[in-house]
Amino acid sequence: MDNNVNNDLKQYIILRFDSEQYGIDITYIDNIVRLMPITRVPHTQPYFLGVINLRGVIIPVMSMREKFDLPFKENTGATRILIIKYEGADIGILVDEVKEVVTLNDEDIEKVTSDDVEARSYVTGVGKYNDTLISILNIPALIADIENE
Amino acid sequence: MDLSQYLEIFIDETKEHIQTLNDQVLILEAEPDNIDTVNEIFRAAHSLKGMAGTMGFKRMQRLTHDMENVFSEVRNGKINVNADIVDVVFKCLDCIEGYLANITESGDEGTEDNEDVIKVLNDVLDQSESVGSEPSTAAKEEPQAAEKQEAKSDAPDDRKKYLSIPIADFEKNAMQEAKEKGMHVYATTVYIQESCLLKAARAFLVFKGLENKGEIIKSVPSVQDIEDERFEFDFSMFIISEKSLEEIKGIIENVSEIEEAVIEEFDIPATVEDTTPKVEETDNKKEASKEQKSEKKDDKKAPAKSGKPVVNRSVRVDIEKLDDLMNLVSELIIAKNGLVSVTGVMAGSDQSFNEQIEYLERITTNLHESVMKVRMVPIESVVNRFPRMIRDLSKKLNKEMELIMTGEDTELDRTVIDEIGDPLMHMLRNSADHGLEDTIDRLKLGKPKVGTIRLDAYQDGNNVTIEVSDDGAGIDVEKIKAKAIEKGTITEEQAEFMSDKEAVDLLFMPSFSTAEKITDVSGRGVGLDVVKNKIEGLGGDVEVSTKLGEGTTFIVRLPLTLAIIQALMVDISGEKYALPLNSIVTVEEIPSDEIKYVHTKEVINLRGTVIPIVRLNEVLDLEPAEKDPELEDDDSLIVVIVKKGDKQAGLVIDNLLGQQEIVIKPLGKFIRVPKMISGATILGNGEVALIIDSNTLV
Repeated sequence: MDNNVNNDLKQYIILRFDSEQYGIDITYIDNIVRLMPITRVPHTQPYFLGVINLRGVIIPVMSMREKFDLPFKENTGATRILIIKYEGADIGILVDEVKEVVTLNDEDIEKVTSDDVEARSYVTGVGKYNDTLISILNIPALIADIENE
Repeated sequence: MDLSQYLEIFIDETKEHIQTLNDQVLILEAEPDNIDTVNEIFRAAHSLKGMAGTMGFKRMQRLTHDMENVFSEVRNGKINVNADIVDVVFKCLDCIEGYLANITESGDEGTEDNEDVIKVLNDVLDQSESVGSEPSTAAKEEPQAAEKQEAKSDAPDDRKKYLSIPIADFEKNAMQEAKEKGMHVYATTVYIQESCLLKAARAFLVFKGLENKGEIIKSVPSVQDIEDERFEFDFSMFIISEKSLEEIKGIIENVSEIEEAVIEEFDIPATVEDTTPKVEETDNKKEASKEQKSEKKDDKKAPAKSGKPVVNRSVRVDIEKLDDLMNLVSELIIAKNGLVSVTGVMAGSDQSFNEQIEYLERITTNLHESVMKVRMVPIESVVNRFPRMIRDLSKKLNKEMELIMTGEDTELDRTVIDEIGDPLMHMLRNSADHGLEDTIDRLKLGKPKVGTIRLDAYQDGNNVTIEVSDDGAGIDVEKIKAKAIEKGTITEEQAEFMSDKEAVDLLFMPSFSTAEKITDVSGRGVGLDVVKNKIEGLGGDVEVSTKLGEGTTFIVRLPLTLAIIQALMVDISGEKYALPLNSIVTVEEIPSDEIKYVHTKEVINLRGTVIPIVRLNEVLDLEPAEKDPELEDDDSLIVVIVKKGDKQAGLVIDNLLGQQEIVIKPLGKFIRVPKMISGATILGNGEVALIIDSNTLV
């Protein structure tokens, strides 16, 4: 669904891990919240940090770093939890920093062929914005992957 | 008109009608001469036909039409009810259920014509017919209509509400003109069933049906009022049409949930009144007020007349809306818990503030209870299909048996109700198939010829217990053991030391069936283990007690509700967990040196009972908590003793945090949750604590 070749403009939320920037289609984002206490869940997928309570709803939170095999990093004041709504259910993603919302034209996004980093399999394309490269994350693929595990 | 919005109501109502038919046909089978039952069946079949027709389900309409015909004949005394008819009607009901299942799934009735059933129905009809006087099925409608008409002609005048409707001059003129042209003028009062939910929609369908057949010159109340549902259960109108009285009546009464259309050719009032318009107007007013009065009177009379109970003052609510409401109440409880914990911190806070908090606490508790009650449904809705099932099984298995049910009004949470049907059905099938002996064997044993299966439900504290029992052969423990050894489930040594209870529990192992002959009723090897899983999934448990030669009882215990429970909050290596209170026996402090080893497993001996120990920190992947150095010599463990049936286990924890009412929440769709975690709850401070399902640890 993200591969539509048309001139539609889409808004993306830009996240940062170390020096890399990632974009997520804003229509998937339900909320962005500050770090809050996460309750560990034993014997679950290793990249799940646990669950949080967001206004009475329990939402599992995963670490993007863990999932993408990026090195561990302490949480900082800029750490946020992105709440993604997909197929009626919520999932939280812990990210180092949420930078901004940008509007990209589909034409500005180039398809990527495979690469060696695991993260690449969840990237649908690379967009260019103000001379920086933004990897567009494929949320359906990411979630399908979690569900199949 | 788009009918899809009525699909849900159609499905619900069809289910109800099918249930009524099942119940009534069962009664009819026992008392073939019960005319009330026949009438009831006829009404339900007629409504089914009408509803199916309205929704455009042609095949279903056809089947129900033929079924209705059969009952029409039964009602007229032309057919006597016998076992064959009952059988074919039941078959018919199964087909309708099949249609309904298709409709529920896809909105379409499917393509199965069920010709064989229709043929049998028509055969039944043909047999009753006196030498081809009514050759086609369509013609059969007529005697019934004629009969109705007879009944109607002596309908009391107070049912003919159109008589009291004032008619304006121009309307009279229009009627007169039509008459001169050779058309008919009909006056009719249409009565809608008082149980009808969509009066306006039904009335609309009546208008729509008549649109093509003639002209409606006046309706009372006005069309607008009817559309806005501003009317009681009847409305009157005047129609000009070329069609016959029967045809018009048929069109109206074909709309489902129309109780009756009182209709006759209208005698246009004499034009003499034309000269005194003023008088007439005042008359009109009087009459109008009279009409209102009579309407009110009618309202009171109507239910008494039909002998039906007064319609419940109830509303249908989507279960999702109730879930939302429940969630909000849960949140309120969480917010209240938060507030309570904050006031605990604020030492010496205002007296009146505390009072308000307590007040809030009382309200939230009451609110919670009320919402819980709303979600409670009597188990009747699940168990009422069982008598029919047992009847069918009785025929199929060739065993005589009866089902006695008590406590059908016992209430359970809706979510539990939805899940409990299949397990109960399975247990009943088991009792019928494996439990009860063949009729011949029963006679040999000196038991009553007819086997008895019981289903008893009752509330027991915070649980509901449902017992399924039979007076059959009971379970042969030795046979089970032999079977288990044969299947390699247990070894011979194990079998020797096995208590009867443990042996019976083997029945709940996957793929365990002792039936020597495998029937299509039960004994496919999937069975009791599925039942057990399902019930445990609902937070309940199932137990068997049996006496060889006397019968078997399955005891199912279910929690009243799934959403909110009492729990013991505990601390394990610094993390907080909730343990459901209903499975906790006691909490003990055990000195470390009392822990013994049996087969490398830790056990304690508590007042003569050997109980295995589970160290929760290990199960939960946690480091053991660091001992407070000051309490170095206090070398004891806090052990929560939990039970599951007769079995017990001791769960080692670090600290007790107290008892609390907790709201159970799911952990979300995407995260994989281990079996021992049954959910999560939100604490007063907003943090999440996981709930440990101790059943998985025993």
